[in-house]
Amino acid sequence: MTRVTIPVGPQHPLLKEPLSFRLTAEGERVMEAALRMGYVHRGIERLSEERNYVQNLYLLERVCGICSHVHTTTYCQGVEALLELDVPPRGLMLRTLLCELERIHSHMLWLGVLAENIGFSTIFMYSWRDREIALDIMEDLSGGRIAHAVNTIGGVRIDPEPEQIRAARHRLNALEDQVDDLVDVVKYEGTLKVRTQGVGGASLEQVRRHCAVGPVARAAGLDRDLRRDAPYAAYDRLFFNVITASDGDVWAATWVRVLEVLESLSMCRQILDDLPEGEVSTRAPRRVPEGEVVSRAEAPRGEVVYYIRSDGSDKPARIKIRTPTLPALSLVREQLRDINIADVPVVISGIDLCIACADR
Amino acid sequence: MELKNLLAALEDACPDHSFEAHAMPVDETVIEIPAACLEKVVDVLRSTFSIYHLSTITGQDRGTELNLLYHFWHERGITLQVTLPRDDARVSTLTGAIPGADFYEREVGEMLGVTFEGHPGPEHLLLPEDWKTGPPLLKEHAADEEEA
Repeated sequence: MTRVTIPVGPQHPLLKEPLSFRLTAEGERVMEAALRMGYVHRGIERLSEERNYVQNLYLLERVCGICSHVHTTTYCQGVEALLELDVPPRGLMLRTLLCELERIHSHMLWLGVLAENIGFSTIFMYSWRDREIALDIMEDLSGGRIAHAVNTIGGVRIDPEPEQIRAARHRLNALEDQVDDLVDVVKYEGTLKVRTQGVGGASLEQVRRHCAVGPVARAAGLDRDLRRDAPYAAYDRLFFNVITASDGDVWAATWVRVLEVLESLSMCRQILDDLPEGEVSTRAPRRVPEGEVVSRAEAPRGEVVYYIRSDGSDKPARIKIRTPTLPALSLVREQLRDINIADVPVVISGIDLCIACADR
Repeated sequence: MELKNLLAALEDACPDHSFEAHAMPVDETVIEIPAACLEKVVDVLRSTFSIYHLSTITGQDRGTELNLLYHFWHERGITLQVTLPRDDARVSTLTGAIPGADFYEREVGEMLGVTFEGHPGPEHLLLPEDWKTGPPLLKEHAADEEEA
């Protein structure tokens, strides 16, 4: 059969960010998929070498427009390790609280995008409406809905009043009621299952070969989560389950993410119930002693890695950032092989891409 | 995984070299290896110690030489450090054993001018195909050149 090459992107209705796919199809079957990225490359790694450690907080927060807080968390814990600085327990707990609220909002945003791409607009509306509750909590605590500017080297910049904590708890209850309904939809709704089950399946072996991370890897049965396996911030003080599935298809990835939202809600509640008193940050010196550090954290999409090298001045000599979307993009080239063209949007949605993150 | 077992296995695989490890915060073990041994070392990590996950490759310009850090993860971080000469930076690709290394190697290749020998498609990852002013993460690269 004649092969046809279909260019998709860089500007296209499927994703709000630019990414170019080149699909080679035989009839309705995709045989090969190649991709081209870099359309939103901003040179953040190079820029970070020209700013001091404090200015970099605000630069690195903008690596990602969804999971901004986890980037500053990874960066701060790296710099704090170089400074041998202990963050007060209250600061660590609040840092973790924002990490989990961010995971809730990221997963719910993603569920909406998936639902829209499979033509299930109702769930898109519900999911994005309910996600506002998580954003409201973050706005109340930090003043920002997406870029929170909460982290600082040595701790956090927020110290919530008891009234704010009460309000956050109240909102979490309302959110949990809504998320319970969404879990039922994912579990029982036939429309969603027909469009996602058996679509874009990745095997454990494929996940391993492409070094994929986060919910995509856990959906294929890779039981790895840095929050449990290499606890940072206050995760060693929280009880939670690492959710895994086995099929690796889009439905399994959906199931993992909605259950992770429930786990995150439980973690937020544990933090609010057990928030230690005291300082929220330690004062950090301007200059960082010579040294190198590798800092890792579990973002909503999986492992984020920061390598930071200091030459003893007030500016880093090198910052390397690896975001979880990069290995996912490597894997998706295989997931797109031998599927129907109509399933391409579903498979691409299933991995929860953040292109700006991957391009940096 | 015992570190001394790992070092002994590496010495068995590359008998001409002795390997030493040092710690790096937050929880990372760094092992310096010669570029020629990279493939053998990665093979040992994978086959003997089940270390499959390559988190990323950091490339950096250290003035007199280039430095590649292969960050692996298995229960804790394991980083392989490879030093390359600045004027002829080449190292073998890992894409055969680890297809996920494809993007990481292309990025290091375009940003620092490192050649990954045997890479199946070494085109640019992030930079435009017609990028002309040389690898942008080398220290001598001036940002103004691009505007000129």
